[in-house]
Amino acid sequence: VYEDHQSLRGHYPDDVDEPSEKPVGRRKLIASLMGGGLGAAALGAAVFMDESVSGQATAGAARELPEGPGEHVPAGPPPSSGAPAKREPAGAPVRPKDAGAFDDRDVSYVRGEGKPAKQPPKLPGGGTSGETESEIRVPAVPDSAEQAVDTADLDGTATSVRSVMGESASLLDWSPVAHLLRRFSFGPTPEMVDEVRRSGMTRWFLRQLTPHRVDDAEADRVWRAYPSADMSIAQIRAAYKAGDQTAMREYSQAVLGRQLWSNRQVFEVVVDLFANHLNMSMPSERSWDSGNSYHNDVIRKHALGTFREMLQDAMRHPAMLRYLSNDLSHKDSVNENLGRELLELHTIGVNGGYTETDVRNSAYILTGRTVDKNGEFYFDPKRHWTGEVKVLDFADANDNAENGLDVGDRYLDYLATHPATATMVARKLAVRFVSDDPAPSLVDRLAKTYLATGTSVVAMLAVLVCSPEFWVAVGTKTRRPLENVTAAVRTLGVKPGGDPAKGVVRIYDTLAKVGHRPLNWQPPNGYPDVAGAWASAGSMLQIWNLHRTLVRGTWPDLVHVAPDKLHGDGVPASADAYIDTLCARLLHQRFTAAHHGALREFLGDHAGSGADALTMAGHLAALVLDSPYFALR
Amino acid sequence: MTSTPSDRGFPADGLHPDCPDLSKLGPNRAEALLRAHAARVEYDAEQRDKKWSKGFTRRRLLAGAGWAGVAAFGSQLVTTRVAYGEPSADAKTVVIVFLRGGMDGMSVLVPGADPYLKELRPNILVPESALLPMARGFGLHPALAPLHDLWKSGKFSAVPALSTPDVSRSHFQAQDCLERGGAATTSITTGWLDRVLAELGPGTTFRAIAESSTLPRALVGGEGAISLRGIESFALTGVDTMHEQTAKALRTLYTGFEHPLATQAASTLGALATAGEINDQEYEPAAEYPDNEFSRGLSDIARLIKSNAGLRVACVDIGGWDMHTGLGTIDNGDMLRMLTVLGSSLAAFAKDLGSALDRTTLVAMTEFGRRLEENASGGLDHGHGSVALLMGGGLKGGSIAGTWDGLAPEVRDHGDVPGSNDVRNLLGELVSKRLGITTAGLSKIFPDHAYKPLGALA
Repeated sequence: VYEDHQSLRGHYPDDVDEPSEKPVGRRKLIASLMGGGLGAAALGAAVFMDESVSGQATAGAARELPEGPGEHVPAGPPPSSGAPAKREPAGAPVRPKDAGAFDDRDVSYVRGEGKPAKQPPKLPGGGTSGETESEIRVPAVPDSAEQAVDTADLDGTATSVRSVMGESASLLDWSPVAHLLRRFSFGPTPEMVDEVRRSGMTRWFLRQLTPHRVDDAEADRVWRAYPSADMSIAQIRAAYKAGDQTAMREYSQAVLGRQLWSNRQVFEVVVDLFANHLNMSMPSERSWDSGNSYHNDVIRKHALGTFREMLQDAMRHPAMLRYLSNDLSHKDSVNENLGRELLELHTIGVNGGYTETDVRNSAYILTGRTVDKNGEFYFDPKRHWTGEVKVLDFADANDNAENGLDVGDRYLDYLATHPATATMVARKLAVRFVSDDPAPSLVDRLAKTYLATGTSVVAMLAVLVCSPEFWVAVGTKTRRPLENVTAAVRTLGVKPGGDPAKGVVRIYDTLAKVGHRPLNWQPPNGYPDVAGAWASAGSMLQIWNLHRTLVRGTWPDLVHVAPDKLHGDGVPASADAYIDTLCARLLHQRFTAAHHGALREFLGDHAGSGADALTMAGHLAALVLDSPYFALR
Repeated sequence: MTSTPSDRGFPADGLHPDCPDLSKLGPNRAEALLRAHAARVEYDAEQRDKKWSKGFTRRRLLAGAGWAGVAAFGSQLVTTRVAYGEPSADAKTVVIVFLRGGMDGMSVLVPGADPYLKELRPNILVPESALLPMARGFGLHPALAPLHDLWKSGKFSAVPALSTPDVSRSHFQAQDCLERGGAATTSITTGWLDRVLAELGPGTTFRAIAESSTLPRALVGGEGAISLRGIESFALTGVDTMHEQTAKALRTLYTGFEHPLATQAASTLGALATAGEINDQEYEPAAEYPDNEFSRGLSDIARLIKSNAGLRVACVDIGGWDMHTGLGTIDNGDMLRMLTVLGSSLAAFAKDLGSALDRTTLVAMTEFGRRLEENASGGLDHGHGSVALLMGGGLKGGSIAGTWDGLAPEVRDHGDVPGSNDVRNLLGELVSKRLGITTAGLSKIFPDHAYKPLGALA
C-alpha cells in the first residue's frame, strides 16, 4: 500500500516534465543592494537592465553599466524592488560557517559542536590488557597510489593493534578477518571468510583493488538479466519511450544484484559510497535516459580511480546536469541548484568558507553545460555567462563564452584539489569504513593522502586499512537497513535462481519498507551514513520480519539453503552445540552466555537433543540474525 | 594568592593523558599546571602521525577509535528511561507536517494587493480576484478551498514571514536547523520534538510516532519515538505460534549491554503489544481520503488519535515543494497540483477526526520560503521567510498572527520575504498551550532562544 512513498518525499531536484526553456521576464530589475556606507542612497539607486549584461555586484559604488541588448527602461512601480540580477547579500557576506552550521548532516547526529568527546559506552567482552606502551606502525602519507599499495600491510597492522588492545571493546569478538569483511563487503559469507583466511588479508584486499582480476561470473549473469544495465544514452532513447523510467529501475536492481553476489565486494562498497556522495537519484524522471550511463560512466568508472576525474565527468554528464537543473541554467536566468550543491555537498562542504556570492559565481561558471536534443552533454556558449568570476581563491576573466567549458574544468580542478574537499572526501571514507565519528588523526591522514596522490581513492583506501584507527573500531558501526538485508542474504547463502531478475525484484521492493533501496535517496546529499539517522523502532521490526522471510525462503527465483542445513549436514550433538554452530556459521563468533541462554530458553521443550533443536532451525537462525551481533558492522 | 591556571580556564583534568606526574613538572601545583599546559600545546602541535607511532595503550587506541560517536548517540539513549504511563482520553495531540523542499509562502497565503509581488511575478502570481479572503489583506490560494471552510469556523489559520535562524538557503541546513530546533550554533544532536517528549515525561509506547520508514530528525534522540508506515504493519510476522517466545528471546538478546540498539529494541518490543490491541479492533476512517502517501499517513494518525493510545506527537512529511521550474498558475502547474493534494488531504483528516479535531492541533511548515522574483523557468529559487499553516483546536480563530510589514524593498531579506517571525516562537506556543510545556521546559527545547509567543493560539 505504500509503494509510491518516495513520490511525495524529497523532490529537491526539479523532477518535472520537460521544461519550457523560454526565458520569461527577460528584462530584470537590478537594484543596487549595497551594504555598508552607501546605505539608503544606494538602495534607491535602482536601474532596469537586461540581466545578461549585469556586472559584478560587488559592494561599492554603483557600477557603470554597459549597453546591453536590452534597452534601459524607466522604473515603474515599485520604485526600487530588490531583485538583483547578481545577488549580493546586503551587509557583510554571511557564511553558513559563521552561523555555526555543522560540517555536514551526518556530523550533526554524533557530535554537538564544541562538545568534548564522550566516554566510550560500556560493552561486555571488554577485557583489559595492561596499560603498557607498545609500538604500532602508522602509514606515512604516500606519494602515489602505487606506493600506498606497495607498503600496505593489513595483517601486520592488525597484529600489532591486537597486541596492544587485547580483547575487543565491543560486543563483537576481535576477529580481523570478520572485521575487514564486515566493513568492506555487503556482508561476509563463509566462503569469503575462508578465502581471506587462506590468502591473508593484505593479499585479498590488494587483489580487490584491481577488480578486473577477480572472477565475477555469477554476478555478471545477474547483471545480464537486465539488458538496459549497460545501455548508452542513445540505446535507452531508442529502446524506451521518452520519460520511461524502467531502465533506471532495472539498473538499480542490477546494482543490488552486484551488491548481493559480486566477488568484487570492495569495489561495490566503494561504488556505493561515491554513488551517494555524488548522488543522482534512481529512478528520477528527468534523467530517465541518462541515469544508467551516469552510474556506469562516472561512478563505477572512477570509483577506484581519482576523485578529480570523477567530479569532472559528473559535471559534464547529462544525468547530473538534469538532476540539479543545470541544463536549464542560462546567462539570462541562472539556476543556482548545481552551483550550490557542487560547493556544499560535492566538494568543500558547507563550512568550506564560501558565501552566497560564491554560490552565484559557481552557478555562472557552470552555465552553458547543458543537454542536446539527443540527450547528450553539450556545452552551449550562447548560454554561458561571461564576465569575471571568483569563487574563494579561484578567479578567471571568463570573457569569452567559447572558452566557458575550459573555465569550468579549471574551476572543478581547483575544487577537487582544495584541502577542504580533501577533508570532505576523507571524512566520507572514514565514516563509511571506520566510525560514525572518526578520529581527526585518521581523517587528517586520509586527506593528506588524497592531496599527495592526486586525489587517488585507492591510496586513501590502502592508508585507511593500515591505520590503527580502523582495526580498533570493531563493532563501532551499525548496519543500515540495506546493509543488514544484504548481509542476511549473503550469510544465509541465498543465491540467484534461474531468472535472477525475478528474485532480485522481491528484495528490491521490500527494501522500500525500510527506506533504503540502492541509489534511491531523492535529495542530492545521499543516504545518511551514521546510525543515529536510521535508529527507529519501526525499521528494526521490519528488518526482523525480513530476516524471517529470508530464512524461510519463500521468494521465487532465489535459491535458498534450508534452515536445518545451514549448519551443514548431520545431527548436532546437543542443543547447545547446535546454537554455537549456528552462531559461528552466521556470525563467525559465539554469543555471550546470557544470550546463548536466551536461545536455549526459546527452545523450551526442544532443547533436549540436537535433533530436537534442529526442528526449530528456522526460528533460531532468524533470532541469530535479529541479534545485536548481526546488527553491528 | 596568584591566579591558578584553572582560574584562567585550564582545568586540571584537561591535562594531556600522557602528561607525566604533575609533581615532576614544577615546584607547586599552579606552576606545574602552567607547565603542563605549555607541554600540551607543544604536544598538540606535533604531527598526528608521529603521535600515533609509539606509546600506544589500549585506552589511547580506544580514544581514537571513534567510540565517541557511538557514545554520543548512545548516551542520549541509555540515560533515558523509556517509561510508559497510562493514556488519557483528553490528552491533546500535536501533528507536525513537514512540507519538504521549501514551499513558497507567497503562493499560499497571498498578500493580494501587494504592488511589489505583482511586479516580480508577472506569470505566476495568484490573482487577487481568485483569492479566498482571510484577514489583514491576506487571501488563500483557491486550491485550498476545503481549508477555507475551516478558517470560517476558526479551525484553520496561517502565519506569514516565518523562518528558522538559518541563513544558508540550503535545504539540508535549513531542515536540520528547523528539526533540531535551534539556532545553527546550538550544540544539540537531538531533535526538538524529542526534547518535547523528554519534558512531557513518561507516556504510552505510542506517545510519539512518525509516518515514515525512518525517524525524522525532529524525533531523533532518546525518547523512543516510533516510525511506522501504517499501524497495521507494526507486527512481528513469520513467527507462527512462537510470538511470545520470540519477543521474550529478543528482549534478552538486547539486554546486558549499553548501546542505542538496546533502547531501540526495548521501544520496538514495548510497542508491539499496544499495536496488536489497536489492530485487533475493526476500523474504518470516518472520511474518504484522496489516494496519496501523505493521506495514508494522516489517516493512520487519525486512527491512533481516536483509539486513545496516548498519542501526543505525530510527524508526517509531504515533499514536492522545491519548485525551481513550472510553478504554474491557478489553472495548472506544480503549485496547483501540490496544494490540491495538501488541501484535500488535510480536509479529510479534519473530517475524519470529527470531535477529536478539537484536541488535535496540526502545524504544516517548511524549511524556507522562496524568492520573490520568479525565474526564467517559471519557478522560484531558494528564498527565506515562508508560511506555516495551522489547523485544529486551540487556534485564535479568524485572525492571522505574527509580524507582517509588507514587501517593500527595505523590509526584505536579501530581496526576499523576511523571517520576521521566528519559527521557535510558533512551535513554543504550540507545545506550551497544547501540551502544557512550561517556560523552563521551552528553554531546554529551544536553548539560547528567548521565547515570545506570536499569539496564534488561544
